Amino acid sequence: MSLRAHSAAERRDAVTSFTAMASPCSVLVDTEDHDLGLEAGRIVQAEALRIEAKFSRYRPSVVTHLNRHAGQPAEVDSETADLLDYAAACHALSDGLFDITAGALRRVWRFDGSAEVPTEGQVREALDYVGWHRVTWDRPMLTLAAGMEIDLGGIGKEYAVDRGLALAQARMSAPVLVNLGGDLHVSGPRRDGSPWRVAIEDVNCTGEAAGLLELARGALATSGDAHRHVLKAGVRYGHILNPSTGWPIEGAPRSVTVHADTCSEAGLLAKVALLRGAGCEEFLKSERVRAWCVR
Amino acid sequence: MRVQLKKSDPAGVRRALAAAAAGLLAGGPVRAQSPQSDPPSTTVDSALLVYHEVNRVQAIEPEVNVSHKIDDDRTFSFGLAADSLTGATPFGAVPSTLPQTYVRPYKVIPLGTPVTVTSASGGSTVVLIPPATGAKTRTLGASWVVPPGTYPLEHGFYDRRLAGNLGWEQALTQWLKLDGGVAYSKEHDYRSESAHVGLARDFNGHNTTLSAGVNYESDLSFPIGGTPTPLTEMSAQWKGPNTSLHETDAVLGLTQVMNRRWLSTLSYSFSELHGYQTDPYKVISVVDPVTGQPTQQLYENRPDSRRKQSIFFDNKIHVATDVIAASLRGYEDDWGVKSVTADLRYRWQPDPDYYVEPHLRYYRQGAANFFHNYLVSGAALPEYASADSRLAEFHAQTYGVKVGMPFDETYEVYMRVEYYDQHGNGSPAGAIGQLQQQNLFPDLKAYTLLLGFTYAF
Repeated sequence: MSLRAHSAAERRDAVTSFTAMASPCSVLVDTEDHDLGLEAGRIVQAEALRIEAKFSRYRPSVVTHLNRHAGQPAEVDSETADLLDYAAACHALSDGLFDITAGALRRVWRFDGSAEVPTEGQVREALDYVGWHRVTWDRPMLTLAAGMEIDLGGIGKEYAVDRGLALAQARMSAPVLVNLGGDLHVSGPRRDGSPWRVAIEDVNCTGEAAGLLELARGALATSGDAHRHVLKAGVRYGHILNPSTGWPIEGAPRSVTVHADTCSEAGLLAKVALLRGAGCEEFLKSERVRAWCVR
Repeated sequence: MRVQLKKSDPAGVRRALAAAAAGLLAGGPVRAQSPQSDPPSTTVDSALLVYHEVNRVQAIEPEVNVSHKIDDDRTFSFGLAADSLTGATPFGAVPSTLPQTYVRPYKVIPLGTPVTVTSASGGSTVVLIPPATGAKTRTLGASWVVPPGTYPLEHGFYDRRLAGNLGWEQALTQWLKLDGGVAYSKEHDYRSESAHVGLARDFNGHNTTLSAGVNYESDLSFPIGGTPTPLTEMSAQWKGPNTSLHETDAVLGLTQVMNRRWLSTLSYSFSELHGYQTDPYKVISVVDPVTGQPTQQLYENRPDSRRKQSIFFDNKIHVATDVIAASLRGYEDDWGVKSVTADLRYRWQPDPDYYVEPHLRYYRQGAANFFHNYLVSGAALPEYASADSRLAEFHAQTYGVKVGMPFDETYEVYMRVEYYDQHGNGSPAGAIGQLQQQNLFPDLKAYTLLLGFTYAF
């Protein structure tokens, strides 16, 4: 499931679109002042690109720097330290299911729709490089064990949504909606007090709206991707890996969308819920989370 | 950050996460960019290439390429290269069991200038050509002798080349990119100017790119000794005027992200050339129909139009930290040349501090339909004829390895060593007389050494 701000209903909004983090992004401002809309777009885009560049796994960044220096202590700046604190908290709160060091598993799991499933030996080998418990995090010094890598992709986009919205809000009082690839956060209700209307796209990516959500406050984030899986001997292995076993979580929904106060929180709840597999809905219910699951 | 959590507390995880997220977002509105996070905006790549053909030519080429990203939408680039080439090169004549003497134009001097030169470069002898009546200049020729059983080469081959290019890339929208550029190169006997423009359109969330480009090139050839009349006898006489060549190329490409680890490109290119494409320094031997001894050396002749097309299929696959690059190219033109190239590289990065990239390439081509090792005396002259080994049937392998050492994220030193091994048919069926004892296509072996340095800031 993916979300997009419904454009047809809000024709009067000033809309800016751009691409960041390999996703289509948009910023909506409920205003007649077109320049204000452009300014909000520029602020959010600059922040998203800054965060993308700073924490990219592919381009020279803080993350590639840390991964290259795995095995030796490295000092990080305060923003990176805050994200690592947050990642540590998420790891603890998810009983180890959310782990930013799970990247080594990607070397053996491909999820390209093919029938390639790694052997138990390959998974076991990869697991030697996975686990937040193998990391020494003593703010501001991070020491990854040799061969380990971290990936802040699981929190970076939602963080960019929250940051972008905060920066835009600091510059204007008009209501703003920030949408980075379907993860979104609103500053509050629209000028007339009505909620923003957000279209839910069909999980099969037909591009048609499957429904409309009304959002007056807070944020929405979605986790899950119906298209990435491995099919072997009739068994569909989903792409959500359990970092402690190295194998895909069983019984997980195809996607989970969560509503929370911030996008960071919503994104984490969606990921942790998905990692609960068959227990996803039960977890969301017990945590009293407003959420939508697609199975 | 300590997070207290009671498992029995309903919504405990949510509350704790909310607190953690609030902590994360309390960082204040302005986040400083840490020093190492600046994405490089200018890249300088400089390299020195040494090329050595065993017993033939040797080239040294320093080059520098600079690319400057002005912002996310615009990139400006330029490059400069210079090379100097010395050594000996085949010029089309067949070997013989008898010593052979060849002659070519050397220089033109005003009549009355004292001639003190006793030898031209490369061990050849200067010959004086008697001036025509009333001429104000006199031509000097160079002559050289090739011993029996030796493949004839032209020594004294020396050339310098200077080349430069300018490029510009501009995003028009988030899906559409325009690029253009110009290039110039100059040798002592050749000049080339070209310009290109291209458009790339992304689809499917930037996973698919369709690109199209055209290139136009205009060349001017002003050979030492002038442009010879095709299929006339090799001589020291000064010859015809400058000639030009015009080439138009079009390329259509499709790049597709197949999955996170696999990138695939398929492209088709088409070129049309009009103008002088004969090599003014090359000859084709005419041999006696019985003995196979060369009786004449005629300047070669090629058609003045050529139409080429090729298909290129390239794949890049990431395997953990390694990259496999595999490509195939198929080529043909209306001169009858068909070729296929298979290229495989494996970038093995056992450690972040260095990588090793072995490289294998296989190339095979068929001959142009006017390629002949030699012509036979007494038979009618064909309209087009060339004995240039580059238009012959041959196959070649390249074995190479590149070693790179990135330091930080800002600079990298690398070295590439390659060995090229070319084989053709040196004993064609039906060779006449003494030619049966000769190798008409000596193997070519060449080494390339490249030292490079890349700096990004």
